[in-house]
Amino acid sequence: MSDAEQPAETGTHEHHNHDHEGPGYATPQAAIEEAEPEQTAYVMGLHVGQDVDAPDFLAVVDVDPDSDTYSEIINRVKMPNKGDELHHFGWNACSSSCHMEGLERRHLVIPGQRSSRIHIVDTKERRDPELTKVIEPETVYDHDLSAPHTVHCIPDGEILISMLGDADGDLPGGFLELNDDFEVQGRWDPPGEIEMNYDYWYQPRQNVMLSTEWAAPKTYYPGFDLDDVEDGKYGQRLNFWDWEAGTVEQTIDLGEDGLIPLEARFLHTPESTHGYVGAALSSNIIHFHESDGEYHAEPVIEFDDREHEGWDMPVPALVTDILISMDDRYLFGSNWLHGEVWMYDISDPSNPRKADSISIGGYFGDIQQVQGRDIVAGPQMLQLSLDGERLYWTTSLFSSWDNQFFPEEAEQGSVMLKADVDPRKGTMSLDREFLVDFGDLPEGPARAHEIRWPDGDCTSDVWQ
Amino acid sequence: MTEVLLDWRDSDRTETVSVPDGETILDAAAAADIGLPFGCRTGACGTCTARLLSGDVVHHRPPRALKDRHLADGYVLLCIAEPRTDAHLAVGATVQAELVPNPWK
Ligand code: FES
Repeated sequence: MSDAEQPAETGTHEHHNHDHEGPGYATPQAAIEEAEPEQTAYVMGLHVGQDVDAPDFLAVVDVDPDSDTYSEIINRVKMPNKGDELHHFGWNACSSSCHMEGLERRHLVIPGQRSSRIHIVDTKERRDPELTKVIEPETVYDHDLSAPHTVHCIPDGEILISMLGDADGDLPGGFLELNDDFEVQGRWDPPGEIEMNYDYWYQPRQNVMLSTEWAAPKTYYPGFDLDDVEDGKYGQRLNFWDWEAGTVEQTIDLGEDGLIPLEARFLHTPESTHGYVGAALSSNIIHFHESDGEYHAEPVIEFDDREHEGWDMPVPALVTDILISMDDRYLFGSNWLHGEVWMYDISDPSNPRKADSISIGGYFGDIQQVQGRDIVAGPQMLQLSLDGERLYWTTSLFSSWDNQFFPEEAEQGSVMLKADVDPRKGTMSLDREFLVDFGDLPEGPARAHEIRWPDGDCTSDVWQ
Repeated sequence: MTEVLLDWRDSDRTETVSVPDGETILDAAAAADIGLPFGCRTGACGTCTARLLSGDVVHHRPPRALKDRHLADGYVLLCIAEPRTDAHLAVGATVQAELVPNPWK
């Protein structure tokens, strides 16, 4: 066989697989340039809060348009127990540990929000991942922590998980640290340094970490009660930490403007001190940045409440997720109740400019059906391709809140949708061909939550 | 040992479970291979909420997911609930869903 007859396909394919060893990319720009278009998505799938007697699972979704199984769930890793409420998850290593010899972005760390159980899944076979380890809740409770949320790797190969409550589901929350063998090391922070916790992001070159606030697990677990808001049981503060020391240096109380500050995103540029937080209940986007040695925060995008015919009170947008494109040019977000996905130009970070939006699902969405499938909830967790050209989202927020605001989702399940983004023109258009239906599974309909790519993404990679 | 009748609110399904003394209703149901919704198993999340229709049930640790008004209305958390007498309970995910209504509606 001459060289010309070599099966070029196979050669490229093998090279492609080897390409992705190692934890990450040298810079955000390198991630954009070097990453192949995403082919596989990992998506949290769950049955908690439904009369479906089955465990939650990691769904492997085919997002390769050239594949026969495009936009289908091609595999699932079922958890060993029921009742976890899989929610957010992360990698054992990301671009922050680029420099670490021998480390690979290979293991997913998948916490159960309600169970406080932590699962480790090996994705060496990308489309056939395998559960390899389970940390049982008792091990977590031993450190007086519960309700694991955000997972980030930290540069030396360890893993940090924000924990929203103490062992009883009350306050204070804190942070749990795992070592690179996925053993619980203990608490990362001095207990009581913060009261409430939720998401966090760190910017190691600035020696800063930001953590946000949801509420005590026992407050948000059963459902959203306005009385709890009036009683001050929901968060409204941003906590800025000294990353090396693990102590809070500054707390900003956002007041009414920042009720329930959820997702925290620094710009990807490692030197930047700018970023955004989505204040879910106030439906504001808060811009923060450092100047004169202090952090400052103020709302820069405000979504107005909308009147719903026949309802008692105007409905807030409920901004439940935000993300920043890898080139730091656009901020995307989801207004879960209003049913809108939006895109703002943030070239001037203090003055975002609306670029585009798509109105779909939710209480007010224009588009209520895709591929003949009803969209029974609003857009929620977002994920963007590294090149910034494809935006995907799922529709479930949290089982008890879903049941309260979009009860149909328990019977019909979630969907995963996609928009094509034109970063040059600043536009988005719904891809009406793409639909992943989590309503159609053997055990019954499932909810779908956070999305991750095998090669890193806009909501988990940090640069050292 | 007490007998607990589980009644799925939205269907005709009912099941009877024998609960040994000192065991929770959720554990006894699981041992009998009857799947009920649950999450934290510590009384914090409310996923296992049921409503007592008759009988006497006590919580063996504080039912933190339930407010006073819920307790007064007969809601119980099956993960920490032990029956003291034979009991009849409405169960299933929709029971939890009625704890907190949509505040804007
Ligand atoms: S399972 Fe969480 S309160 Fe019972």
